[in-house]
Amino acid sequence: MISDIIVIIRDYWLLLLIGQYPNGPLGGLAATLILSILAIAFAFPVSIALALARLSKSPFLNWPVTALVYFTRGVPLLMLILWGYFLVPLATGANVPSFLTMLVTLVVYQGAFLSEVVRGGIVALGHGQMEAARALGHSYLGAMRYVILPQALYNVIPSIISVFVSTIKDTTLGYVINVPDLTFAASQINNQLLTQPFQVFFILAAVYYVICWSLTRVAVATESRITRKRAGMVPLPTAKSLKLAALTDQPS
Amino acid sequence: MNTIAPSKNTPMIELKGVCKSYGLYEVLKGIDAEVARGEVVVICGPSGSGKSTLIRTVNRLEEIGSGSISCDGNNIHRPMPAQELNRLRSRIGFVFQSFNLFPHLSAIDNIAMSPIRVKGVSRDAAYAKATQLLERVGLTDKANAYPGQLSGGQQQRVAIARALAMEPPVMLFDEPTSALDPEMVGEVLSVMKGLAADGMTMMCVTHEMGFARDVADRVWFIDQGQIVESAPPEEFFSRPQTTRAQRFLSELRH
Ligand SMILES: Nc1ncnc2c1ncn2[C@@H]1O[C@H](COP(=O)(O)OP(=O)(O)OP(=O)(O)O)[C@@H](O)[C@H]1O
Ligand SMILES: [Mg+2]
Repeated sequence: MISDIIVIIRDYWLLLLIGQYPNGPLGGLAATLILSILAIAFAFPVSIALALARLSKSPFLNWPVTALVYFTRGVPLLMLILWGYFLVPLATGANVPSFLTMLVTLVVYQGAFLSEVVRGGIVALGHGQMEAARALGHSYLGAMRYVILPQALYNVIPSIISVFVSTIKDTTLGYVINVPDLTFAASQINNQLLTQPFQVFFILAAVYYVICWSLTRVAVATESRITRKRAGMVPLPTAKSLKLAALTDQPS
Repeated sequence: MNTIAPSKNTPMIELKGVCKSYGLYEVLKGIDAEVARGEVVVICGPSGSGKSTLIRTVNRLEEIGSGSISCDGNNIHRPMPAQELNRLRSRIGFVFQSFNLFPHLSAIDNIAMSPIRVKGVSRDAAYAKATQLLERVGLTDKANAYPGQLSGGQQQRVAIARALAMEPPVMLFDEPTSALDPEMVGEVLSVMKGLAADGMTMMCVTHEMGFARDVADRVWFIDQGQIVESAPPEEFFSRPQTTRAQRFLSELRH
């Protein structure tokens, strides 16, 4: 059983790593990582924009975004993916690559989820901080940028990381619209071997587990940091030391 | 910009017929009052009488229903672009009961941040000024401490320094010592006394009657949304004119 897995990895490591590239599109783990990183990188700022829009008093910002958030949260991701895949080309006549469809869908879906986390973080701060900043002459957005968001985002880091983890997991759904990611590569291998589905999908599960587990470790470490900070033990880490912690945090 | 050059004789703060309601409840019922340049006014009155609401309308943290408020020659509640209001606000220092320091910034960053971000002061100048202000409030050694590491009294002194960093010609205080343990009240009041001695125009909601006696030029007694008495402290404390003020003072002494 273990030996089967080793043989599969030996024979197919390149396919698992980069898919058919350079004879086909870049796929495998590389595609999964790129898709995950891009989805997270775009979903994060999108979520802040959505959260600010939902907090806005202007109904032109507030209403459509509230509707969007309720809608995305109430509909399975797979449905959104299939809609995007079949309807966008129909509506626009353009041939949209499945990777792009998947990326945009993930950004909208996870952005909506994340926006609720961010909004919660902002609301939890209370009025005092915003009032203090406004009283000093900061504009609304200036107060958000320099006073509210640095605190609100910091306080919800664990929840943000959870959304990031589920974003990575959700990239697997790209399989149904033929995004050539790691899952796609694994199922290609399975189709060739036919007899070893357990071994093949065990490798798949192990790789996803390692990726998500590393991110979760970061969440746990930062969470304990917040607890210590709240107790007034350590000064707030700067963004730099936070990044460093993410990189140097060793599994115990 | 289009600031009218204020003459030495115009009042620093001028309230004319200021009314404000929350729904049907009238919190401010026609406030007419002035604070002269360099004057220190202490506002006192029973809980719920509208003291916080009144002082918060001066920098427009609260909107008013009718009337007008001018500060340093500028009509604060006129319709104006958000930018203009921000600029006017930056010229009115405000100190909160609950300090409201920015907990993610060290003491000195709390003080230097707004001059840099709002006024565009250079970092060097802002930090030099912040260092000076920390010295003025007696916290030179706490420059790099975070708010969570400071006592209430120290936090409030940093908050005063933060407001002063914008170089406002007027300072508003809403019960700056009410959230403090008794042993820390003195250190904050002495900073405020120093400010008053330097000629700062101050409007201060407080029940510290010792401070009012020593520092205030006038005391406003507010009850049910109206300024019921306005008198120099010695007069107000020894000969309150209304029964409401008499009752308030006797309750305060107990
Ligand atoms: N946002 C609000 N909505 C409705 N009513 C309010 C609001 N803020 C204040 N009030 C009411 O307005 C009245 C005046 O409140 P304010 O805070 O100005 O009183 P205060 O004189 O500062 O009292 P205290 O000494 O307790 O601080 C109170 O009756 C209060 O309940
Ligand atoms: Mg009050």
